[in-house]
Amino acid sequence: MAPFPVQGITEGDFVVVLALVDSEQPMSEVAQAIAYHGVGKRVAPQDRPLRVRYQGDLLPDDATIETAGVAPMDVLEAVYA
Amino acid sequence: MPRLPRSEWYDLTRDMNWDLSYVSEDQAFPPELSNSFGVPAHDWWAWDEPYKITYSEYVHNQAGKDAGVYSVNNVLNRSDIWDKLEPGWRAAVIAHYGAIAVAEYQAGIGEARMARFGRAAAWRNMATFGTLDETRHGQLQTYVPYQALAKEPKFDWAHKAYHTNEWGVIAARHLFDDMFLANDAVSMAIQLTFTFETGFTNLQFLGMAADAMKAGDFDFGALISSIQTDEARHAQQGEPTIKVLSKAGKADVAQNLLDRMFWRAWKLFALLTGFSMDYYTPLENRTHSFKEFMDEFINKQFIDQFRDFGLEKPWYWDQLLNEMNWTHHAYHLGVYFWRPTVWWNPVAGVGPAEREWLEEKYPGWNASFGKYWDVMGENVRDGHPELTLPETFPVVCNSCQLPVCTPAGYAAGYLDSPLPYVVEYEGRKYTFCSEPCKWVFEMQPETFAGHLSIIDRLLSGWIQPPDIPGALAYMGLSPEECGVDGTDYDWAGPVPPVTKSA
Repeated sequence: MAPFPVQGITEGDFVVVLALVDSEQPMSEVAQAIAYHGVGKRVAPQDRPLRVRYQGDLLPDDATIETAGVAPMDVLEAVYA
Repeated sequence: MPRLPRSEWYDLTRDMNWDLSYVSEDQAFPPELSNSFGVPAHDWWAWDEPYKITYSEYVHNQAGKDAGVYSVNNVLNRSDIWDKLEPGWRAAVIAHYGAIAVAEYQAGIGEARMARFGRAAAWRNMATFGTLDETRHGQLQTYVPYQALAKEPKFDWAHKAYHTNEWGVIAARHLFDDMFLANDAVSMAIQLTFTFETGFTNLQFLGMAADAMKAGDFDFGALISSIQTDEARHAQQGEPTIKVLSKAGKADVAQNLLDRMFWRAWKLFALLTGFSMDYYTPLENRTHSFKEFMDEFINKQFIDQFRDFGLEKPWYWDQLLNEMNWTHHAYHLGVYFWRPTVWWNPVAGVGPAEREWLEEKYPGWNASFGKYWDVMGENVRDGHPELTLPETFPVVCNSCQLPVCTPAGYAAGYLDSPLPYVVEYEGRKYTFCSEPCKWVFEMQPETFAGHLSIIDRLLSGWIQPPDIPGALAYMGLSPEECGVDGTDYDWAGPVPPVTKSA
């Protein structure tokens, strides 16, 4: 496990934020780590699961930063599926 | 001794051009300090300023202006007028001094470069006055806040800001280094005096002067009105420079210089002037919205001048018009949320009456931007103001150095994607907030590639510890200096007493 910086966008938010995730975290947790900085702070929560979109594609929930081939400071979107 | 009319001696005394024989052209005017863009030396001698002034006239005029500003300050500084101003207006003034005062001294260095390396004697004459102007502006805008330090300790940042690594100052320095401190004389005449001063400082200085008078801040109003009269004169160094380039078939050079700096200036003004006009100025004192000022001063008056000189609108014009609807709203929201990172106390400016005004001026504002403030207001009313404060950092653009707010443009329906522009250059990844910011970088990658944004510095280990407190210390903000809500959350409506001092 290593801290891994990404550019995070929470669906509906106004700004791209720096999010630190773990390289071996599943995407379901990566989505939460990104959304933590927006949902409930500037974005109203929704009762739907969050997923990670990377380069236009939704990543499987069990994918990790490593298996998905995400590079440091790549842009990840936390979106409501 | 009979005195000749000025018209009979002015041209003779200021046209002290001569052919070089002891040194080469490049030795006297090194390209990095004075890029001729291939225009022959003699062609520059046609440079003719539209506004003539002699040194004795200059001194007479300036002495009168200084007497006016300093006497107004002397009287008002003994009054309690500052204490009676609204918190939002005080925030706008404190932000202004920090962002502008020392930059004026730097502009004096730029003018001095033109006073030495301008390619015609007439130009060097004008730039000498410009050097004196900018020195005066730096003095005024440090003296006036210094006089008021006892009333407002945050005025310390009028001098301190540019000596720190505060994020907004990094953005301003990045812009002004490009525009004048690290620029050559010819490019500077177009980028500083024409693009920035003719176009944008009108917006901050004339627009804010009108708002200042209405807000009752006669001190600030008198100050910036006086400054603008100088700007209006020395800004005219751009016009003859464009004419010489155009006549030599180099209009494309002028257009490119203008296009690059116009966008860069827009971004900084969207930040500083945007929140000042649309959120910080008390509602009853607002003369126009920021967008209306942009429409009048930039989209009409300034563009007419483009055309007069044979130039075109920048290629990204539609993107500029698009950004005028949403960018400064996003910046204001970001400054408020990251308020500990600024030297003034931001006000939200989104009470019920303000929201009605914003909706009128920017149809759809409540649905697009009001929704963020709804969530934050609810958190305040629920007794959780800490949820309106940051735990991480916004990613900033590697060109303008301002937060990347593409998601706001997308959420408001103005952009097709929330994604920023990401570019790899020589093995390093760069992020941009817009296509023109990416273009600015790509026009001169060798100039910009080495610069580290505040986020790059964080990731490179320059900021220790790499968290919010570490970043505040890196930015020179002591706990007492960090911005707090300027109205103690009044904008959010009834607040439980426990949250009032949080």
